[in-house]
Amino acid sequence: MKLFTRYSRINFAATTAVLVAGSIIFYFIIHYVLIRQLDETLKVEEAEILDFVSKRDSLPPPANYKDQHVRFYASDKPVKRGFFSSIMYDTVENEKQIFRVLRFPINADHKTYIATVSKSQVETEDLLFLMVLITIGIIVLLLFFQFIINRLLVKKMWRPFHHTLQTIKQFTVTNQEEVVLPATNIDEFTQLNNALNLMTEKMRNDYVSLKSFADTASHEMQTPLAVINSKLDLLIQDQSLDEKQTKQLAAMYDAVGRLRKLNQSLLLITKIENQQFLQTSRVNLRKLIENKLIQLEELIVARHLNISTDLADVSISINPYLADILLNNLLTNAIRHNTDNGTIIILLQQQSLSVRNTGHPLGFDASRLFDRFRKDNASEGVGLGLAIVKQICDSSGFTIQYRYDNGQHIFTIDW
Amino acid sequence: MKILIVEDEKALSDSISSYLKAENFICDVAGDYQTGLFKVESFDYDCILLDINLHNGSGLDILRSLKENHKTDGVIIISARNSLNDKIAGLQLGADDYLAKPFHLSELGARVEAIIRRKKFSGNNLIRFHELCIDIRAKTVSIHEKPVELTKKEYQLLLYFTYNKGRVVSKNAIAEHLWGEEMGDTGSYDFIYTHIKNLRKKLVEAGCHDYIQSVYGMGYKFTAV
Repeated sequence: MKLFTRYSRINFAATTAVLVAGSIIFYFIIHYVLIRQLDETLKVEEAEILDFVSKRDSLPPPANYKDQHVRFYASDKPVKRGFFSSIMYDTVENEKQIFRVLRFPINADHKTYIATVSKSQVETEDLLFLMVLITIGIIVLLLFFQFIINRLLVKKMWRPFHHTLQTIKQFTVTNQEEVVLPATNIDEFTQLNNALNLMTEKMRNDYVSLKSFADTASHEMQTPLAVINSKLDLLIQDQSLDEKQTKQLAAMYDAVGRLRKLNQSLLLITKIENQQFLQTSRVNLRKLIENKLIQLEELIVARHLNISTDLADVSISINPYLADILLNNLLTNAIRHNTDNGTIIILLQQQSLSVRNTGHPLGFDASRLFDRFRKDNASEGVGLGLAIVKQICDSSGFTIQYRYDNGQHIFTIDW
Repeated sequence: MKILIVEDEKALSDSISSYLKAENFICDVAGDYQTGLFKVESFDYDCILLDINLHNGSGLDILRSLKENHKTDGVIIISARNSLNDKIAGLQLGADDYLAKPFHLSELGARVEAIIRRKKFSGNNLIRFHELCIDIRAKTVSIHEKPVELTKKEYQLLLYFTYNKGRVVSKNAIAEHLWGEEMGDTGSYDFIYTHIKNLRKKLVEAGCHDYIQSVYGMGYKFTAV
């Protein structure tokens, strides 16, 4: 639910409740005041009658004029003086009407009478009805205008917020452009924009320093690695080494080799992220795949893999260096995570490349396959090969998908 | 043969000179930009190993000065910044080769040998080792003057061994030399063993002494002894 909708609903309910309660109270007050006024008129009439009786000791004649009636009844029992409303037949208007009545006892001519003075309450009721009608009208008008104002004004007032929202949605930390949020004269939005500006600025700076850190750290590691590697190269020349020592050296040598490989892969990822491979040219993928298969022949033969290819003559626009790494990583992945005597099927079409290989299902969630350092326990690689593939696809505007179907790992790249 | 190593990481220049001395090279070391520039301008070398990122200057400037003075010393750039731009800039300035740190000393040794051969023995394309003879222009191998048929990989392997003769060459270095860096990530070097086995068999069958020794799990050594 939108904030505005929620607010309007509460506002509408509250306004209506207050107006209705107010109207009811208003109705009763007005009703009370009008009846009191009516009663005052009846009291004046009563005073006139009492005055007449005290002077003449006889009843005045009953009177019917306008909407006012005076009547006398003989009575044995005395009555209490009092006001009440009653529906009576109006002889003047010839219809039943509501009357306000004042009944009081009167003694004249040594007899007790009951006198009633009544006056039509219709006008009062009409007045009251009109007033209620006006009140309802005001309520309806008020709500209507509130609705219209909200509709037009609130939409306009929220515009900077929506603009900010849209800008933030499009924000990517890799994009080095500054986020520009529109100036607004609403304090809350200005505060929001200021906070967002600070936050995005910090994010971009953090990202840049993180990136340059990774870049610098990897580069700085190259020289010590070169030293270790060269010292090992010298150490293995030592004639006096026995078998046990040589094996330990070999293990160190392999470990340093993996470290070198890891470092190079990290550097490569950083470079792709830094968009250092923007130059593209037309690369004939068919030729590249055929060359790669020749290069990788030893590995393929060693595992007795059966390769089948269906390669269309396709050239795409890509950085040649990245194209080489992309195919290299995809194919070595298909070889390494294969079963002995397994198969690799490479299908190159005008818009896509798919590489499928036999192999055991993944030991982890497929959505994490392209994550850095994600690898099977059995894998001897550093776990960056597919992360690099993904990075190259992303930076070249390709999409890559993975699925496991019928005992086969299937990678599809669309461009 | 005189080699100049311009490298500010002393531990690394020590390793390089120790390794190259075994092949009877005379190694001179310059630990910073000024020394490097001075030595390059003052003496002649057969090959200069040039680091690009020196503390107080760029190796590329030393290279520039070398070319301005019309010197013909062979130059191999060794750089920690494995960037295409550095490589292109270096090669355009007239460097003969480019090697990214970290590298195997055997790889460096092979490249130094190759450059010196190209520069100094331009008329002589033959590498002789006892009964073995390699023609590096025709890319053929003969034993007792009789040709031996080798595959491309076997030929490259043999050449790599002769460039690093008398020294242990690790399997990792061989794999990277023959198949490039990408293959280094495959984890297994079993396929190297097959190639070496085939090479040894062909050479021995042609009447060559078996010069290739296996060094436990480490690698191989091409030696007369």
